[in-house]
Amino acid sequence: MADAGRPALSLTVNGEARRIDAPPTATLLDVLRDTLRLTGVKKGCDMGACGACTVLADGRRIKACLALAASYEGRAITTIEGIGTPEALHPLQAAFVRHDAVQCGYCTPGQILSGLALIGEGVDSVEAIREGLSGNLCRCGAHPNIVAAVAEVAGL
Amino acid sequence: MTRVESPVRLEAALKVTGRAVYEAETPMTGMLHAALVEAPIANGRVLGVDGGPARGLPGFADLVSYAEAEVFKPSGSTALAREPRIHFAGQPVALAVAGTLHEAEACARAVRLDLAAEPAVTAMDQALETAFAPDIVGRYPATTLRGDPGAALAEASLVLRNRYETAVNNHHPMEPHSVVCAWDGDRVVVHTGTQAIFATQRLVAHAFQIPADQVRVVSRFMGGGFGCKGQLWWPWMMWAILASRRTGRPVRLELTRAQLFNLVGRRQETVQDLAIGFDAEGRLTGIDHAVLGQTATHGDYADGTARVSRWLYACPNVATTHRIVRTNEPLPIPMRAPGVAPGLFALESALDEAAGRLGIDPVELRVRNYASKDPETDRPWSSNSLLDCYAAAERFGWSGRPAAGKARDGRWRIGWGMATSVYPVHHQPCRVRVRVEPDAGLLVQCGTQDFGQGAYTAIGQLAAEGLGLPMDNVRVELGDTDLPEGPFTGGSMVTASFTPAVETAMARLRAMVAERVAADGASPLADAAPDDLVFEGGLVRSRSRNAAEGLAEILARLAPDGLETEGASAAPENMAFSANAYGAIFVEVGVDPDLGEIRVRRVCGAFAAGRILNPLLARSQYVGGLIGGIGMALHEQVATDRASGRIVGDTFADYLIPVHADMPEFDVLMLDEDDPHLPGGVKGVGMLGTAGVQAAIANAVFHAVGKRVRRLPIRIEDVIG
Amino acid sequence: MSGVAFDYLRAGDVAEALTAGAKPGAAYIAGGTDLMPLWKARAAAPALVVDISRLPLDGIGVERDGRLRLGGLARLSDTAAHAAVTRGWPLVAEAINASASGQVRNMGTIGGVLLQRTRCAYFRNDALPCNKRAPGSGCGARAGENRGHAIFGASEACCATHPSDLAVALAALDAEVEVMGPDETRRISVAELHRLPGDAPHIDTELAPGELIAAVEVPPCGGARSTYLKVRDRASFEFAVVSLAAVLRVEGGRIARARLVAGGVAARPWRLEAAEAALVGAAPSDKAFDEAAALAVDGAEPLAHNGFKVDLLRRVVKRALETVGGAA
Ligand SMILES: Cc1cc2nc3c(=O)[nH]c(=O)nc-3n(C[C@H](O)[C@H](O)[C@H](O)COP(=O)(O)OP(=O)(O)OC[C@H]3O[C@@H](n4cnc5c(N)ncnc54)[C@H](O)[C@@H]3O)c2cc1C
Ligand code: SF4
Ligand code: FES
Ligand code: FES
Repeated sequence: MADAGRPALSLTVNGEARRIDAPPTATLLDVLRDTLRLTGVKKGCDMGACGACTVLADGRRIKACLALAASYEGRAITTIEGIGTPEALHPLQAAFVRHDAVQCGYCTPGQILSGLALIGEGVDSVEAIREGLSGNLCRCGAHPNIVAAVAEVAGL
Repeated sequence: MTRVESPVRLEAALKVTGRAVYEAETPMTGMLHAALVEAPIANGRVLGVDGGPARGLPGFADLVSYAEAEVFKPSGSTALAREPRIHFAGQPVALAVAGTLHEAEACARAVRLDLAAEPAVTAMDQALETAFAPDIVGRYPATTLRGDPGAALAEASLVLRNRYETAVNNHHPMEPHSVVCAWDGDRVVVHTGTQAIFATQRLVAHAFQIPADQVRVVSRFMGGGFGCKGQLWWPWMMWAILASRRTGRPVRLELTRAQLFNLVGRRQETVQDLAIGFDAEGRLTGIDHAVLGQTATHGDYADGTARVSRWLYACPNVATTHRIVRTNEPLPIPMRAPGVAPGLFALESALDEAAGRLGIDPVELRVRNYASKDPETDRPWSSNSLLDCYAAAERFGWSGRPAAGKARDGRWRIGWGMATSVYPVHHQPCRVRVRVEPDAGLLVQCGTQDFGQGAYTAIGQLAAEGLGLPMDNVRVELGDTDLPEGPFTGGSMVTASFTPAVETAMARLRAMVAERVAADGASPLADAAPDDLVFEGGLVRSRSRNAAEGLAEILARLAPDGLETEGASAAPENMAFSANAYGAIFVEVGVDPDLGEIRVRRVCGAFAAGRILNPLLARSQYVGGLIGGIGMALHEQVATDRASGRIVGDTFADYLIPVHADMPEFDVLMLDEDDPHLPGGVKGVGMLGTAGVQAAIANAVFHAVGKRVRRLPIRIEDVIG
Repeated sequence: MSGVAFDYLRAGDVAEALTAGAKPGAAYIAGGTDLMPLWKARAAAPALVVDISRLPLDGIGVERDGRLRLGGLARLSDTAAHAAVTRGWPLVAEAINASASGQVRNMGTIGGVLLQRTRCAYFRNDALPCNKRAPGSGCGARAGENRGHAIFGASEACCATHPSDLAVALAALDAEVEVMGPDETRRISVAELHRLPGDAPHIDTELAPGELIAAVEVPPCGGARSTYLKVRDRASFEFAVVSLAAVLRVEGGRIARARLVAGGVAARPWRLEAAEAALVGAAPSDKAFDEAAALAVDGAEPLAHNGFKVDLLRRVVKRALETVGGAA
């Protein structure tokens, strides 16, 4: 399957060690969404401007579509699939459900991962949540509910 | 009627965990990937498509263009796929298919085109002399005349004549359009996020000349649509389906974000000349609303922009006209409150201006012009709670409105504005199938789509309420042409269309249960009359005597194979009533008069849209609509390079939509409205938030800094200029 | 989306990076947040991408002489959160936090943010003419859509602006870039790092091909007050329409030192020297600020769609001076 001489990439994805064949031009988004079929990582713009592809790399939120996969060799990546399951939701996921912070759901995984990272960064006001989530677009207009869900889990 | 509750979104757990599979994510083995070759010219003909250089590249599998598409049976929807004619810059002229997306893109880049360019019209004002009236706007006449507006305006005690303009907007659902398709002999399955699965099915069947039941279209989850997940991209989707047939392998085509600026439709740009006249008491005496809009050279499209002027307010003399200009730009298509949003921007801005000149409060001016029946048709309203919506003024604190230009908060000048919101009610036919298992598990199936508006939840809720079961018992299947045909998603009409169908189906199910228990001597409910039975809390209960039995027990005993039935609703014909949903929107903005920045701080909307099935989800819809309207008011504008006809700035870094930091406080008031004349009593909430808020914002900006801006979006230069 | 295929090399040390970076067609990648979109839009087509993200050039700290040293590979988010920065050079943190989004700031680096290329939409779309991307193809923006373009220092060939917020702040702080080449390490002031387009708009900066930004050094602020004022259409996640970094030191009721650098108006952070000069020696006052603001826009040459920037810049200068000039 892999071209001869293609470098294999090692990543820890949602706690699991993975080796992946990918061309040097592959982005982290390509690898996660297409190769590993972690389709909870969404592709909204592929240009860094919407946040749908947000994942955590060593705990920090990044945009997978801007990340050259090879640069992340050896890193630990967390996608929405690693946060919780429908049967065992993470508290932030449960808050999204309760606050109806989900409409079409396409921006949702990115909003949740961004929100989680933001909480970890110690966000201290609703205003700061709004500013801090501004890299995650939502076209359905779920913003107030998203912010309410994040604020609840942040204890604000 | 059972009390309305707000169950959470049925599919929310799947969405928040990334387990909801959107159609582009459908796994298929041996899948090929497709990329489009775009025309570098805005007008002309394709003389040849040379795929030679692409054929040698790694992974190359197929190349499809108009020549290969000749196999399609001609129809309007595939014309662009079949004809070597270029109507706008960036129009696809071929589709390259290869093993990976990067390979397909490399193949697409290698294709050589032989083109004959012709002079292009890349802006309306280059061809104003060619403007003409379309046959219809939506399904209504393009031109109307009532009374004698010319004379009325000549005699009016106040006349305002102004030009209002609105920019091209794009829908930009967060999920781009895609198709994943695979043939099995002469059957094909098409996974595509579309607002119209059945129309897609018919199109594919027609083009490939196969029976419709050999085409299965699936759209279970859709990452937004707002009007654009429909026909305009069908030609390119059809190329992908053709390539799949030619290669015998599954093919995936996903549009890029840049292509969503070009290939899927746009909100029509408008130039509106509006004249309104009032008598000394502030009653409208005449309206003349003339709209000019852009359309493409391959289709005539016109939003019904001036329609609101025909019937929103009581006015005896009204003229409306729509004219369009064909340009070498993409074709518009309905987008969130089509026509109504730009039309209300003009009308509601004008009313605000008039209120100022007449010295009448803007709310009072609207109350004075309330139409107690449809002024266009003379028909009564099915229901109309607009006056109650205006009462939200108090909730906003309207009576404490500061003097214009006087309120401040730090660097911000504070302004308040308001506007009426309205959206017509429409219906489509709908069929649903319901099935209850012996364990009281309920399955509802309907071939409509949920693009985020909450159809899964509302249908599930109606079904659960119909049998008195908890939501946990319900499963809902949507978005598959194997299911009974439901409405396409648009015009805020899905809920209004499926509600009566689900309710009919549930009534039938109840009747089936009732018939069985009545005939069952062993049941405590034996011999009960059907209308004596209440379905509640998992029980079937008699109203007249102290008897009840669990629904699951009844079913296990009397319907071991489960019960199944269908329900249908039709679009009401020749209604004796006119039906609209209404709202009143109050807005507070902050404007930095020196730096020109505008921020919306507070929005209070009161809406009356018939029966609300789920207040939690309805609120989300209203707020989402309002945010879309804020985008149109302050941010969204597609720029076109006039020299080339290309969109400039085709990314989310250039085309700005509101972000979290732009969010005001929202206060949404949903009025109880009982509409006995509409099937199910439902009107539809999707568009109402997006209509009216633009004018409310413009009016608030005027109130804050005294600048009357009649062009959307309102930007820094409009404030400081 | 994808551009033209490239080879990838992760540099193990600075020497390896410099050797690889000197090859024709090589491009460094740090966070990738600008290079990747440019590659996808085919506004960049490197043959070899040299990954410098793991080089040990990411330190942040204060030098013995009191200068702030930011490694060329220091992350923007780390920089803005660093105690030394927030305490001693708040302008730096302010400008970073006004940039992009949390995700981008976690990826973007000090070197990358300075070397990011223009947001001119003609430049970033290979279907359109652009002298910067394709020399000789013409400047699409000059006669086309140019709301976001330059009012100072443009040429017939190019009227693009430089988009970085941080560069504007660093220029106002008299920061210097430490540049490493195969043969020497040299310093360039941030204010002079970017070139005006002239007739060679395809060359953005004074860096020679293959040179690395090793660090940025910022002299101490010495009691000056500063502010970064960024005007934009929406409240966040947008490049500046116009921005201004203002640094002002008032001693004994007189302005002893003034730095005013504007963003969004030219191909480099645009120093408003005439306005600075007028301020020095004056007492902070409405009148002094008005005069400076008027001088700030002297010589502006707006295009068809960006005339408002002239007036806006004047207002921005006034507002920023009011902020840092105390209760004037
Ligand atoms: C959606 C979006 C919004 C943004 N908004 C803003 C904003 O509001 N304000 C703002 O200022 N910026 C903004 N940015 C730009 C962002 O700040 C830059 O892309 C980022 O800082 C670049 O850093 P990087 O490390 O990712 O650079 P890379 O993409 O890795 O590199 C950029 C360029 O610099 C070169 N390079 C990188 N490091 C070095 C080095 N040490 N030595 C020599 N050459 C080097 C690379 O070869 C490349 O040419 C935005 C970006 C995006 C995607
Ligand atoms: S302004 Fe510069 S970057 Fe933009 S099109 Fe003209 S030459 Fe290219
Ligand atoms: S897909 Fe990565 S930011 Fe939009
Ligand atoms: S929920 Fe649809 S884009 Fe956010």
